[in-house]
Amino acid sequence: SIARVGLNVAAGRRRSEAATEGELLKRLGRLAAEAMADSYSRDSEPTTRTLLRRVLDTADPRTPRRPRSARTEYVRALPQHKSNLRDVQRALLQTPSSRRLRSQTKTTARRCSNRARSVDRLARVQASGHLEEQTPRTLLKNILLTAPESSILMPESVVKPVLAPQVVQASRRESSRGSLELQLPELEPPTTLAPGLLALGRRKQRLRLSVFQQGVDLGLPPSQEPHGNADASSLTSSLNLTFATPLQTQSVKRPGLARRPPTRRAVDVGTFLQDLRDTSLALAPPDESLRTPVATLPTDTVLEDTQPFSQPLVGRSPSVHHSLPCCSHSGAKDVERAASRRTWSSGLGLQNNSAGKAAQLLAGNVEEVDALAMGFPNISSNIFGEDGVEPLQNGVGEEAEERMEESLREVEKAAEAQGSARAEELEGHIEVTKAEGSWGAVEAKEPEGSSGDGDTSGRIASPELASSTPEFLRARRLQFLEPAPPPSSAVLPSEPPEPLSARLPPKPRIPGSRPRQDPYKTGLNHYAKLFNFYAKMPMEKKAVEMVEKCLDKYFQHLCDDLEVFAAHAGRKTVRPEDLELLMRRQGLVSDQVSLHVLVERHLPLEYRQQLIPCAFSGNTVFPAQ
Amino acid sequence: MALSTTVSQKKLIKRKAPRGFLKRVFKQRKPHLRLETNSDLLVHLNCLLFVHRLAEEARTNACENKCGVIKKEHVLAAAKVILKKSRG
Repeated sequence: SIARVGLNVAAGRRRSEAATEGELLKRLGRLAAEAMADSYSRDSEPTTRTLLRRVLDTADPRTPRRPRSARTEYVRALPQHKSNLRDVQRALLQTPSSRRLRSQTKTTARRCSNRARSVDRLARVQASGHLEEQTPRTLLKNILLTAPESSILMPESVVKPVLAPQVVQASRRESSRGSLELQLPELEPPTTLAPGLLALGRRKQRLRLSVFQQGVDLGLPPSQEPHGNADASSLTSSLNLTFATPLQTQSVKRPGLARRPPTRRAVDVGTFLQDLRDTSLALAPPDESLRTPVATLPTDTVLEDTQPFSQPLVGRSPSVHHSLPCCSHSGAKDVERAASRRTWSSGLGLQNNSAGKAAQLLAGNVEEVDALAMGFPNISSNIFGEDGVEPLQNGVGEEAEERMEESLREVEKAAEAQGSARAEELEGHIEVTKAEGSWGAVEAKEPEGSSGDGDTSGRIASPELASSTPEFLRARRLQFLEPAPPPSSAVLPSEPPEPLSARLPPKPRIPGSRPRQDPYKTGLNHYAKLFNFYAKMPMEKKAVEMVEKCLDKYFQHLCDDLEVFAAHAGRKTVRPEDLELLMRRQGLVSDQVSLHVLVERHLPLEYRQQLIPCAFSGNTVFPAQ
Repeated sequence: MALSTTVSQKKLIKRKAPRGFLKRVFKQRKPHLRLETNSDLLVHLNCLLFVHRLAEEARTNACENKCGVIKKEHVLAAAKVILKKSRG
């Protein structure tokens, strides 16, 4: 910026020189026409140097920025003199004009022509405007003074700090600018504003950054920075090492990995689960802890909290998943024990069943039953699951089994007591949460149990409605210890066969065959979605299922046909020719519509490349025929 | 030089053919038969066309009943017709 300033100064100086030359020349012509004439007459051809010398000799400080005035005066001077001076003056005119070639060649010519009759007064007034030295400083000052003050002036408070650095740094500035800057503080504040603005206006782009920095340093808004600081900042950019970026980044602190504090309920759940385990193991009733959590357990907390178990329950799904195998496990045991259960449990690892344990299990189940009854279906299933987990962990399957049976039964009771919808929900929920297969057996037990246990239901219903008191649990458990086993055993055997057979025809599968249904269904679903897309109309869910059935049949037909065709061709591999024949028979491919056309229409490009032979470079065809 | 059998240009194909699914279905039903690579795609094409025809027919049925939604009955009726046509 300083260099540029210097250049500008030089240019200005040159211009000012030119202007001064012109003015001086015109003055020369006006004032000392005769002298000039004499001198010029002596010199046949007045060169610029001679003219300049004349000018300097008769130097008269004039504002350098009055080209017009110079011109006007100069032009004005022309007609005043005699013709013998005309050449001189023309030369004089030409010299400044030549010097002004840089700036305004055309304008000079125009001005000369225009101002031939220009106003004397105007020239004189303009000429007499500023009687300062013809330096870039004065030039600038004139500019600044004459330029209109913009509205973006800073308040004086801002200007003053601007002035201060300017004054401080004035010494370091280059000569021309420095003098100007020094003058600035002397002037009145408004004038300082103007010069600052004007100077900045000219050097806005260059100084903006430094100005901005300084402004930031000074705590000023960026809009105000250029006003006063441009000069100072431009020159002192090297000096001002205090352009520090505001250290506000530190203030913004990351919240950090704030962990959520464990909810109060978590403790309850943990204790509750531990208590469950304890009760299941020891069958002693440390129930207080159980009751309170059971009573207050909302579904989410039970599900979400991972409490310090021996085997951690990560969350709802894992617990549920754990519960599922446990349920199946227990279910299997139940079957064995009842000896009238379905064979679905055969796949499960069954453990020993004993009547005594059954009693214990029942006793243990009472808790869960109550809990389930009191809680929501979610809770029940979860607790149910958790119960399942614990027996798994403990290795006492029967307990869980019994518990689950009881819980299921009780759940069913509760559902009945409160409405069939709940049972359905519960069942549905349990079904949803459980995996296919062995779960069904456990679920099937629910309706059985519900219908069977009248007294247990009665007893359980009351605590359910009363919403959970551990005392109830304990009391019930104790109560159920004796009567529970026989009725449960009596009830359970009777119940399972019918609902199971009614409800789960496809369900009794070994877990190994589970993947068969899912991928097949997903594949069909893929095409069903295409159906939805092709139809361009909303469809019912049942319609989609219908489509899947149709697709299933279609696949059957397809495979049979392909087999026939391949056999007809004496092959054991189905080849594209067989497919083409099939499509021809279906009416998709005809003499008008070829297979390639269909391929092009409906298949993406990549498949088309593989299907339709295409010639490539090197005299090759892909795919090879 | 022949191109490779892999997908050229871009790795992402919209509306991919469930080739694995088709092969598995065929294998399950006809274990003694084999399905060739390219015929897999033609089977997929066949399925597309079948579904297309089915959808058209179902839509026609629904529009005839002045129904804005395709219902089970429409699909059923359409399936009867199209399956008969696709007997081969």
